Amino acid sequence: MSPGSFSGGICLSISDASANKPFERIIPSGVVTIPLRQDLGGICNAKVKKGDEVKVGQVIGESAGPEGASIHATVSGKVADVIKAYPHFSGGFVPAVLIESDGKDEWVGLEGSADPMAAIQQAGIIDFDIKPVPLAAKLNEAKSRRANALIVNAMDIEPVLSSRSRLLSERVQEVACGIDTIKSIIGAASVYVAVDKGASQAMSAVGSACGGAATVVGLNPKYPQAVDLLLVKSILGKEVPCTEAYCVADIGALVLSVETVAAVGRAMADKKPVVDRFITITGANGTGAKNVQVRIGTTIKEVLGHCGISVEGMGKVIAGGPMMGTAIANTETPVTKEVLGIFVQHEKEITGFDSAVCIKCGLCIEVCPVGLMPFLISGFSEKGVYAKAAANDIFTCFECGCCVYVCPVMIPMVHWIKFGKAQIMAQRSSE
Amino acid sequence: MKAPELVVSATPHIHSGNSVQKMMLNIIIALIPAIAAGVYFYGMGAVRVVAVSVLSAVAWQAILQKMMGRKVTINDLTAVVSGLVLAAILSPTLPWWMIVIATLIMILLGKEIYGGLGCNPFNGVLVAYVALRLSYPEAMIAWTPPAGDIMTELPPLQVLRDEGVGVIWEYFTLKDLLIGKVAGTAGEGCKIALLIGGLFLLLRRNFSWHIPVSFLAGIAILSGILWLADPEKYASPVFHLLVGGSFLAAFFLATDSTTSPVTPIAMVLYGLIAGMLTVVIRAWAQWEDGAYFAVLMISTLTPLLDMIKPRVYGRVKASASS
Repeated sequence: MSPGSFSGGICLSISDASANKPFERIIPSGVVTIPLRQDLGGICNAKVKKGDEVKVGQVIGESAGPEGASIHATVSGKVADVIKAYPHFSGGFVPAVLIESDGKDEWVGLEGSADPMAAIQQAGIIDFDIKPVPLAAKLNEAKSRRANALIVNAMDIEPVLSSRSRLLSERVQEVACGIDTIKSIIGAASVYVAVDKGASQAMSAVGSACGGAATVVGLNPKYPQAVDLLLVKSILGKEVPCTEAYCVADIGALVLSVETVAAVGRAMADKKPVVDRFITITGANGTGAKNVQVRIGTTIKEVLGHCGISVEGMGKVIAGGPMMGTAIANTETPVTKEVLGIFVQHEKEITGFDSAVCIKCGLCIEVCPVGLMPFLISGFSEKGVYAKAAANDIFTCFECGCCVYVCPVMIPMVHWIKFGKAQIMAQRSSE
Repeated sequence: MKAPELVVSATPHIHSGNSVQKMMLNIIIALIPAIAAGVYFYGMGAVRVVAVSVLSAVAWQAILQKMMGRKVTINDLTAVVSGLVLAAILSPTLPWWMIVIATLIMILLGKEIYGGLGCNPFNGVLVAYVALRLSYPEAMIAWTPPAGDIMTELPPLQVLRDEGVGVIWEYFTLKDLLIGKVAGTAGEGCKIALLIGGLFLLLRRNFSWHIPVSFLAGIAILSGILWLADPEKYASPVFHLLVGGSFLAAFFLATDSTTSPVTPIAMVLYGLIAGMLTVVIRAWAQWEDGAYFAVLMISTLTPLLDMIKPRVYGRVKASASS
């Protein structure tokens, strides 16, 4: 297989109106809501109480363990409330801190630890990717498995998003500084920066900023190329052994989103913690498509208002992209570290699912990037035959959604596969 | 302001717009040239067969689904396609009531009795074809001679069966075989039209190349071996490819998604075996054209062939998956 390709995948026919739009800054005016869990690490301990004065960058939630990521105030002002159970958009409840902005935007810097690992944890950096793992945990894992290849992922997970490619071209100095830091932490021998094949501007920018320390790899922006499993295969030519859980570090690679690397650079050079997200906002048909630098805790409603996107009547607001994002129930939901973008659909664009029978056309097999038979696994899950679903590698599926996208009878295969995985895990844990 | 009503659902949130209806519409478009050629050569007889077959297939579909308490799905165009493909493999002289019986068998025994679209183990069109072939053998081989100057009123495979290899290239020119100026079923004759239709379907991704190519390759390989062994007794691969149902079966019957395998290797094996079986039937069995029988029989292998799985990314052999 030639480098930069994988079998399957799809070319999405969807607007990329946000491409090449510079980041616009959004600083919230009213109250921000900052949940105290924004990654797959644990819940952070609240360090403030109602009535406290806080400044931007002040720690309000301290990570419970050494492998977590702290959470910081993103506006200056007064703590309006500390809620015990705030609904998290992916389900469940987490504590949250509400801060009323005083509009002054006063900052406090990081303490500035000499140890880069401690600095990363204090700066609250996570890997801004599909799996929002705290960066400290990811780095420790990579170190323990002697990962020697660092891959900076500047390809957007879904074609409709463009924030990563934009971030790389706007903030290449921060990225270069982040690469240096991470490289020395894990002792990586080689560094790759994965970009869209067409992004020649970004390629030359990285080349000059990193001074040859990093190899720029231009890949075909076929969806879902930017997922770590396929990225390591395309760049290193190796496949990650997949059992129930897989770890890219097993083949000696560490894949980090460019936003993560830039955040490391910012923490090291400017002593600034993570208070902003760099994400793409796209309305229906590409209306109001923008790249924004938005403070964590800003409500999605305010962000959409900034972009001139209105959601009236029936609609769908998706945290992430249209293929893998989570549909949210309430636009009062704040932007958090897990949100990879915001995609809005109007009523007439919402696609449904059907309960029709599979006609065995084989399209799902053709597009599956990891060589599964999606209709079969989904069927086994639907019928409750979980052992067979597991035997057909249900856990290798990373739920990219290509199968459902092409399915002529619109079977909700990703739904059944997620359901099957959950059932299998529940069975395992009860045994 | 009224709060928006947000829809929450599973991923993905967009769809390609592909549907059974679109795929069926592609097949209808792809069959038009072949049917048009049939109408040109056989006249109103072909028009009648197509009209009766399509209309009765749609009617049976609606009636049977109503009777069975199922959702009536004539809008997905599958009944139209089944009727059209069936008409293409029937003689233009067939009486209307036989066609109506055939479409009943096709929809009832070929599809609905198993649970409808997607559940049938055999291609309904071929079930109906074989039922007619066994029930009304004379009517099924009563042919209309094509318009224009011709040497024989019999189809090429009948001539091969009756008079041997020696005379076939005297009776038929290559051009006649390509444009379908021979006696035969309403839609199988014009190979050029079928090829255009097949390429159109390939382009619209109704099917991948594996089945049609391997099916034709299967015919060419086995007939080629026989021909090289004894050219006095067996016809050449070119003849076998350009007569009877070879092309129609390759593009419109063997590619039926429900009854064919789903992975590339399995599809190639399926096509090769079906193609070779076609030649076996033509050479040694009772029926002069084996293509339709071969595809019907080979569907029984599909569940077995479906056990050939694609290579899974990063699969760990004998892993912890107990």
